[in-house]
Amino acid sequence: MLQDIISKHKPFFPSSAHTELRAQLSRSKSVTVIAGNLTTNTRNETSGVSSRVYKNGVYGFSSAAACDDEAVKNVLKAACDNAAFMDAHVRKNKAMFNALPYGKYDDKIEISDVPQKNYIEFSKELDNYIHTKYPGLSSRIVAIREDSMEKLLCTSDGFDAHFTAPRSYVYVIMSASTDSGVTVELFAPVGGCGTFDMNFTDPALLYPTVDDIYEKLMRKREGVYADAGLKTVILGGDLSGMLAHEAVGHTVEADLVLGGSVAGHNLNKRVASELVSLTDFAHTAFGVSAPLPVYVDDEGTPAKDAVLIDKGILTGYMNSRETALHFGMEPTGNARAFSFSDEPLIRMRNTAVLPGKDKLEDIISSVDDGYYLINTNNGQADTTGEFMFGITMGYEIKNGKLGRAILDTTISGVAFEMLKTVDMVSDSMNWSSAGFCGKKQPMPVGMGGPELRCKVMIGGK
Amino acid sequence: MENLKAKASKCIELIKEKGIEKAICSVSSNVISEFNADGGEFSLFRTLFDNSLSVTVYNKGRKGFVSVNRIDDDSISRAVENCISASESATPDEAWDVAPVTENAAFVKGCPEPDVDRLFERTEELMRDIASRHPLIIIEQMIVKHIRGESAYRNSNGVEYNTLYGEYSIELMFSAHEGSLSSSFYGSGVCTDTLEKSFITLGSIEEDLANVEKQIRTVPIEGKFIGTVLFPPQSLASVLYSALGNFCGNTTILDGTSIWKEELNKKVADERITVTSAPLDDRIICGEMFTSEGFRSENYYIIKEGILKSFMLSYYVANKTGRDRAKNASASFIMSPGDISVSDIIKGIDKGIIVGRLSGGEPSTNGDFTGVAKNSFYIENGKIVNAVSETMISGNLADLMKNLRAISSEVICDGATVLPYAAFDNVTISGK
Repeated sequence: MLQDIISKHKPFFPSSAHTELRAQLSRSKSVTVIAGNLTTNTRNETSGVSSRVYKNGVYGFSSAAACDDEAVKNVLKAACDNAAFMDAHVRKNKAMFNALPYGKYDDKIEISDVPQKNYIEFSKELDNYIHTKYPGLSSRIVAIREDSMEKLLCTSDGFDAHFTAPRSYVYVIMSASTDSGVTVELFAPVGGCGTFDMNFTDPALLYPTVDDIYEKLMRKREGVYADAGLKTVILGGDLSGMLAHEAVGHTVEADLVLGGSVAGHNLNKRVASELVSLTDFAHTAFGVSAPLPVYVDDEGTPAKDAVLIDKGILTGYMNSRETALHFGMEPTGNARAFSFSDEPLIRMRNTAVLPGKDKLEDIISSVDDGYYLINTNNGQADTTGEFMFGITMGYEIKNGKLGRAILDTTISGVAFEMLKTVDMVSDSMNWSSAGFCGKKQPMPVGMGGPELRCKVMIGGK
Repeated sequence: MENLKAKASKCIELIKEKGIEKAICSVSSNVISEFNADGGEFSLFRTLFDNSLSVTVYNKGRKGFVSVNRIDDDSISRAVENCISASESATPDEAWDVAPVTENAAFVKGCPEPDVDRLFERTEELMRDIASRHPLIIIEQMIVKHIRGESAYRNSNGVEYNTLYGEYSIELMFSAHEGSLSSSFYGSGVCTDTLEKSFITLGSIEEDLANVEKQIRTVPIEGKFIGTVLFPPQSLASVLYSALGNFCGNTTILDGTSIWKEELNKKVADERITVTSAPLDDRIICGEMFTSEGFRSENYYIIKEGILKSFMLSYYVANKTGRDRAKNASASFIMSPGDISVSDIIKGIDKGIIVGRLSGGEPSTNGDFTGVAKNSFYIENGKIVNAVSETMISGNLADLMKNLRAISSEVICDGATVLPYAAFDNVTISGK
């Protein structure tokens, strides 16, 4: 657990600037078994202190790979010097942030350091199950990833905090050959917030997941190419979550709005059908903990939900303290840093389309000719809202019934146009949290949503 | 540097004292000086001081790897203990090995000592140049930095490399705007070892800015057709990374799913295609000097005149599969230029698109790919007609390598790759 070596330096923060001082310990562990071969067996640990100083519209930042008094003094001085350098050269003369109330937060969680052998033995046992039960696979991979952050934060105003963010996942990836020799692949991550020993107690508990992946893979092995074009589709929860994050979420990050995103011209306008509402949840969603909860951000702002779309109307952005001042909005606690040597950026937390009232079976039976798209392995979007998602599992829908599986394909569209075609929203909710969002720095994020009936472009032949 | 050398040697000694014969240790220290601009304005100046210690052991064939950012004696001892502990549950695999000593060396690469004031001036100049020459552009984010590093590498066979290095890099993310209309965003960047030239003249930065300004008004392609796709160097790099990674890389060779696994020394591409991985080429600024196992890096052909000459394999996968290891571990791709200009390539295309950026998922193991053509232009009857949106392309990467139409005589060097423009036929292009 991090020792508090920073709070005693708070009296020495510069008086005419906003200052953040952070100590952070990050760990990541990784084990990969490919076709029975242990190809990755790694542990990484980084720690250090950093400081960021805001003065007249510019920031100075510095970090050092040490957690002692000398390092703290050095980074504070360097951050002040860098802010002064920028201020002298740029002269933006912007106002100071609106003050936040003082407070303290401590999640009192101590992250356990799981021995490497636990990951290896778990992987081997799961791999052995797959190899024994499904010898006909052309390839199999079992991978375990665990990452965690522990942070101590002191700010000139706002909350001083100690908080942690551990998460762990097991990935199972299987490949099979079709009769014509083409390889098809399917994967699934299992896990979430918490250390490996909290989330995974017995490999046998994952056997049903393995069996499910295999069954879907066999259907995909007999799959057909999608018919390319503009189609009526049902996006599963993985896909609606990806849509919430990639195609909408990034465009309403206030720094990207300032960079020219499409959301800048659409605040308080209709961007989706009235069935669509979308929120970036801070720590609690639908009465339970969100997948990756955030209570205080790295600027000392207590985190609260950012309501982005309400019944189809774009209602807000996700803000840092600086952008909140610019847009005249409240900061939402979205400013987060990945490593001790990273400065806080506006990042999503748990971004989701809210569920509606329709039953999935009713949505399926309403489609005469279309696709039910369930799994994705990749998503990219533009600040214009144009998006592309890779589809790894889906089915044809013919006359209201699920048909053949489809081979890997891609869907695309423009978020604020496509969301206006949403005409049914399921009453279920599916979260995912295994990925990293990339935006200068990586960042763990949660995303989720219900099934959506809508129209998108689908690739194929 | 003397401090780092002593620490790396001490680390190997500690491991050998534990009776472990094969090990690698790398100790490094670096300083980054970085300027950021966001939303078209300067926002941040960062100075980062960091260290790195990485330890690999092959404990009776059982691999362990630990990396930390502390290099004091206690941290080194703890990293060694953790690494050995991590190895103890691993499966023994004699394919893991480290390089023998050939020639120990000290390297000085790039420009280790930064000129921070001059870097700021060049950065200011870039922002002024963009504002005056490309007024429709908004810089979403700009990251300009210098990294200075020192490292000491040791392995248990006595390999010793000491490196002092430095480089500048410029990364730009931008889009063009006119009223409420905007282009897609685009990223452009270079690494360089000199501040002699204006940044806007480096790599393809100026050309990229000009192209994005022409992409504010787009027209979706109607229907679907089989046509020609022209990849500029940056998107060609993505195509090569995907194709060569998929067909020549460690994972698919190890698990046997590569469709080129039996194609060594056979024709896999048009005979005009020659691709090397060449970190030692003078034009490559960010190239490696040695592999993680301790082999001195050498340039090598991956494809020479259409013939597959080498897979891109680590020492481990090479040992595991009985094949030759790659002569370096980087992807510093250099593709030989052709003898026709880009403008003449375009004049010869009846129907197709220039794909500035392909937004797509990972291709299938067999090379099938689909993606959205971003920052792209429609070509008809030899002329660029308009920028496009909501347009997808699909095809197969292995087929693409055989369906080459032309390679340009012009190449772009961004410090990491040296690549021409390349056009390929028989790609499915579909719009609304």
